[in-house]
Amino acid sequence: MSGIFRVTRRDFLRYLGAGTGALVFGYSMAPDEASAKGLPDLDQLLDQIFHTGFPLGDFVRIELDGTIHIIAHRSEMGQGTRSTLAAVLADELEADWNRVVVEQADADAYKYGVPFPVALPGSPLIVKPEDAQFVDSSRSMAAYYKPMRFFGAGIRLVFVRAAAKKWGVDPAQCRAEQHKVYGPGGRSDPYNLLLLHARQVGVPTPEEITAALKPRKEWRYIGTDKMPFVDVHDMVTGKAVYGADKDPKLPMLTAMIERCPVANGKVRSFDPKPALAVPGVRYVTKVLPPDFQGGTGGVGAAFVPHDGVAVIAENTWAALQGRRALRPTIQWDLGPHATYDSEAFRGELEASTSQSGKTVRSKGDVGSAFASTGKVVEAGYYVPLLAQTPMEPPVAIAVYDKDKDQFEVWSPAQGPELAQHYLGLYLLEPNPLKWLVWQAERPNNVLKSCEQDNQEAFNRSLAKLLNVDEETLFKQAEDLKKSIRDRVKVHVTLLGGGFGRKSNPDYAIEAAFLAKQHPGTAIRVQWTREDDIQFSYYNAVSHQHLKAALDADGHPTALQQRSAFTSFFATLFPPPSPAFPPAMNDLLVSARAGFHNGGEYGYGSAIELGQGLEDMPYHIDHIHLENCPAESHIRNGWMRSVANIYHAFGLCSFADEMAIAAGRDSKDYLLELIGKGCVLHQKDLEAQGVKCLDNNQFPVDALLVPNSTQKLLPGYPPDTRRLRAVVERVAKESGWDEKVKRYKGLKGRGLGIAAHRSFLSYVAIVVDVSLNESNELTVNEIYGVIDCGFAVNLDRVRAQMEGGINYGLSYALLGEITVKNGAVQQNNFNDYQVLRIHQAPRKIYTYIQEPSAEVAKDYDGDVPPTGAGEPPTPAVAPALANAIVAAGGPRIREIPFRKTLQVV
Amino acid sequence: MSLFQLRVNGRLYTVDVDGDMPLLWALRDILGLKGTKFGCGVAQCGACTVHLDGRAVRSCATPVGVACLSEITTIEGLSRDGSHPCQKAWVELGVPQCGYCQPGQIMSASALLAANPNPSDEDIDNAMRGNICRCGTYPRIREAIHKAAGSKS
Repeated sequence: MSGIFRVTRRDFLRYLGAGTGALVFGYSMAPDEASAKGLPDLDQLLDQIFHTGFPLGDFVRIELDGTIHIIAHRSEMGQGTRSTLAAVLADELEADWNRVVVEQADADAYKYGVPFPVALPGSPLIVKPEDAQFVDSSRSMAAYYKPMRFFGAGIRLVFVRAAAKKWGVDPAQCRAEQHKVYGPGGRSDPYNLLLLHARQVGVPTPEEITAALKPRKEWRYIGTDKMPFVDVHDMVTGKAVYGADKDPKLPMLTAMIERCPVANGKVRSFDPKPALAVPGVRYVTKVLPPDFQGGTGGVGAAFVPHDGVAVIAENTWAALQGRRALRPTIQWDLGPHATYDSEAFRGELEASTSQSGKTVRSKGDVGSAFASTGKVVEAGYYVPLLAQTPMEPPVAIAVYDKDKDQFEVWSPAQGPELAQHYLGLYLLEPNPLKWLVWQAERPNNVLKSCEQDNQEAFNRSLAKLLNVDEETLFKQAEDLKKSIRDRVKVHVTLLGGGFGRKSNPDYAIEAAFLAKQHPGTAIRVQWTREDDIQFSYYNAVSHQHLKAALDADGHPTALQQRSAFTSFFATLFPPPSPAFPPAMNDLLVSARAGFHNGGEYGYGSAIELGQGLEDMPYHIDHIHLENCPAESHIRNGWMRSVANIYHAFGLCSFADEMAIAAGRDSKDYLLELIGKGCVLHQKDLEAQGVKCLDNNQFPVDALLVPNSTQKLLPGYPPDTRRLRAVVERVAKESGWDEKVKRYKGLKGRGLGIAAHRSFLSYVAIVVDVSLNESNELTVNEIYGVIDCGFAVNLDRVRAQMEGGINYGLSYALLGEITVKNGAVQQNNFNDYQVLRIHQAPRKIYTYIQEPSAEVAKDYDGDVPPTGAGEPPTPAVAPALANAIVAAGGPRIREIPFRKTLQVV
Repeated sequence: MSLFQLRVNGRLYTVDVDGDMPLLWALRDILGLKGTKFGCGVAQCGACTVHLDGRAVRSCATPVGVACLSEITTIEGLSRDGSHPCQKAWVELGVPQCGYCQPGQIMSASALLAANPNPSDEDIDNAMRGNICRCGTYPRIREAIHKAAGSKS
C-alpha cells in the first residue's frame, strides 16, 4: 500500500435519480471487506470522509506528506486547460501551488462525466459521459470552472472544520491559507496533519460549500494574470512529453502506413518483399478496416482507419524507407470516390445554392421584399476543404495483452474516451449490432426534446430488432461500455496541437490494430506530414449564397442565406445502404437523427446549422435561411471553429458588401444591422422554424443551484447586446473613426471589421492592411475583442486570441485542400502553406470585454465562462476581406486569398 | 550500416546507422534525445532545428554522415537548467501554447542572437520564417527574442 490517501469514489451510477433532496453518503465498506482487501484503516476512514457523493477522488488526491495531486481530466493542446482547471481548484482549496502536482487522467468518461446529480440530487447532468473528456467546442471552462471551485472549497471547508474540532474552537474562528489552517491563539496545522480529524466533522452540504466559496477579492489565480503555467518549463527545455516522445518501457517498433489515396478505397494486392529487404524492417502487413465501415454511397466510416499496408520497423527511418519501397507494389481498388474532383464539386455546391434548399429559419416574407424593394445585393462565397495540420502529426502507441484480451494505448487525443470506445468496438467487439447497442441511451434530461424523440424511436426499434425489452437493451449497452472501459486503457500525452484533427482517434485504432498482431510489443504508428495533409478529417467545403433587399436608406428589409456544406455527419454515420437489411438502415437513420440531431443524409446537423446560420444575429424584418444539400466524397470533421468558418465568412463579408452598396461606413452599418441588441430566445427561434437549435450550450450553472427542478437551464441564448458591445469596443480600441478618415487619403491602406458569436462567446476583429501596386498584401495590425463571459485565465485568453487570429489569417490567406481523381493533391507545408512569422501581423492587440451589468442581470450578476479557443478565429477572414476592399483591392469571395492577391 | 561518432551537447556517442539517416531520427530513436521534434521531414517547418557548430539547421534534412563532422547542440544542451536568455524570455512572456514547435523556435532564435545580438524585426522575420507555429504564437516569439536581446522592439 502506498502512502497515498486514495480518495476513492464508489460507482455513483447507482445513485443516479435518487432524488432524495439530500446528499447521498450511503456507501461505507464493511471492516471485514476492508481487511480482506488489505486496506489500512486510515485509508478506509478517509474514504468515508471524502466519499461525499461527488467524485473528489477522481480529481484530487492528498498524500501523507501534504502533496496534493490534482487530476487534469481534459487534454492539453495549447489552450492551457491543464494549468487553469487545476489552479482554479487549488485557489479555492488554498493549496500551496509549490506542493501541487498536476497529473493527467486516463480515459474514463464515466469518472468525469456525470457526477453532479449525485452531489446535488435533482440537478441536471452537467456533462454527458461522452463529452466529459472530449476537448472540443471550447468548453473546458464552461463545463468545469464551477465544479473545480466547488471541489476546492469543499475540501478546504473540511480542513477548517477538522482543525476547529481538533482545537475545540468554533470553525468561524479558523481560516485556511496556503496548505494550513490557522486558528485563535496563533495555532496552526498543515492540511496533512488534519486528515485524521477530518473524519469527525462530517461532510459539508452543497449549500455550505456554496457559502464557503471565496469572494472574488480573495482569489489568487482565478480571473487574474497570475495563473500558473504547469508545463512551460518542460516545453522550453525539451522535456515535455508528446505522443511520439512517450517511452512505454516495453519493446517497441515503429509503423508507417501507406493508405489508399481515395476515401474508402481498398488494397487489392501488394508485395512485401522490397520493403522487407530494407534493413530494420520487421513486418509488412495489411491494415484491415472492419467490415461494417459503411455503405457504398457515402464516406460513412466514423473513425475506422483507412485501408492500407503497414511497414513495421525498428526505427522511424527504417519504416520510412520500407514504406518507400512498398509504395509502388500496392494495387488499389479505389472505389466510387475516385471520380471526386474538388473543382467540379465546387460547381455542384454553387448549383445547390442556386436553388431553394431546406428552410431552417424563416421570418416574414423575403420573396415579396425582394420584389418590392429597390436595391438587391447578392453574392456567393466559397470556402474549400481545409486541413488542421497541428505541428505534431498524429501518432499513437499501443500494446496488446493477448491473455487478457486488453489494450493499453498512449496517444495525444482530444477525445480519450472516443479512442477508448471506438478502439474497443472495432477491435474487441467487431459486430455492427454492438455498434448500434452502443447508441442505445436511457431517456434522460440532457437531450433536447427533438433529440430525445429520435433517441426513443431508436431505442424502441433496436429493442424490437434484438427481441429484448428496452431495459435489457440499456443493460446491454451499459455492460458493453463497461467491458470496453475495463479492457482498453488510454493514457493521454500532451498534444502538439489539435485544432480538431486529434478529435478523431483513427490513428490510435491503427496502432491498436497492429499491436493486436504482435502481443506484448508496443507499436508506435507515426504519421508523416504528408499523411496528415492527405488523410485529415477535413473541414467541410462550402458555398454560401446571400441576398438582401435594401430600402431607400440602405437598410436591409430582407436577408436570404443559402448554405451548402459537406456535413461531418456523413462521415460519422454511414448512410442507408442496400447492403444492409431495411431494419438496420432505419436504425442508422434514427441513430443519426438522435445524435445532436445529425439530420438526414445530404444535409447538415443541428451542430453545423447552429454555428452561424440559424443564429444569424442581424435585426432584419424578413429573414430566410436555408440549408442546401451537399454529398461528401471525402472524410469531413472539425477544424477550429468548424461551421462558423464558412458561415461567418459569408455573412460578415456580405454585411460589408451591403454597407458599401448603401454608401455607409462599415462599422456604423454593422452596428445598425445588429440593432440596439436583444436576446434571441430559443422559443423565438423555434417560432421562426428552427427545429432543434444546437446552441453549444451546457447547463453549467446547475452545480450551484441545489435541488434545481429545471430539466435544462436556459443556457446562453444568442445575445446581440454582447455582439454590439464587442463591435463598439474594437472600434474604440482600434481608433476606427479616426483611422478610416486618415486612410481615405492614403492609397492602398484600409481597415476591415467583422464580428461573430461562436461557442457562446462574442468576438469582433479589426484588420489593418496595406496593398501595394503589385497587389502585394501586408497585414499591419489586428485588433481583437472577446467577451467570453468571465475570463478565468486572462493570459491564456489573450494567447488564444492571438493564436486564434493567426489561425484564421492562415487559412484565409493560404489554406486550400484540392482533390483530383479522389486523391488530395497537397503533400507538405510547401504546397499546403500555413502562416509564417513574416506573414503574421507584427502586432495583435487583444482586449477582454466584460459583459455589461445589464447582461449580467440575466445570469444573476455572474456571467459564467464560455469559449476562448475557437471563437477568435471565424471573424478574421471576413474582416481581412473587408479591409482589402477598403484599401482599394478587390472583393474576395473565396478562400484562400492568395489566389487573388500576392501573399509574400 | 556504419559506425558514426556524434558529438551531441558535449558528449560523444557512437551510433551504428545508415549514413543517410537524418540526424533527427538518430537523435530521437537511437540516442533518445526527444526534445527535437518531427514536424514535416522536408526542412519546411523548423520543429527539428538544432545547432551544428552554432548554426541553426534542420535535423530532418541533415544526414548523420554530415552531422558527424560538427559539434551538435540540441534543446537539451542549450542550457543545463533552462537558463538560456531565450528560454527565460519564453517562460516570462508565456510564449508556448501547445509547445511542440518551441524547442525548434528557441534553437533558431538562440542561433540568431548568437550571430546578431540586437536583431531588428526584419532580422527576426528572416531568421524565424523557417519555423512554423500552428498555435500562432508569433507575436510573443518576436517579443521574446527582443526581450532576450535586451532590447525593445
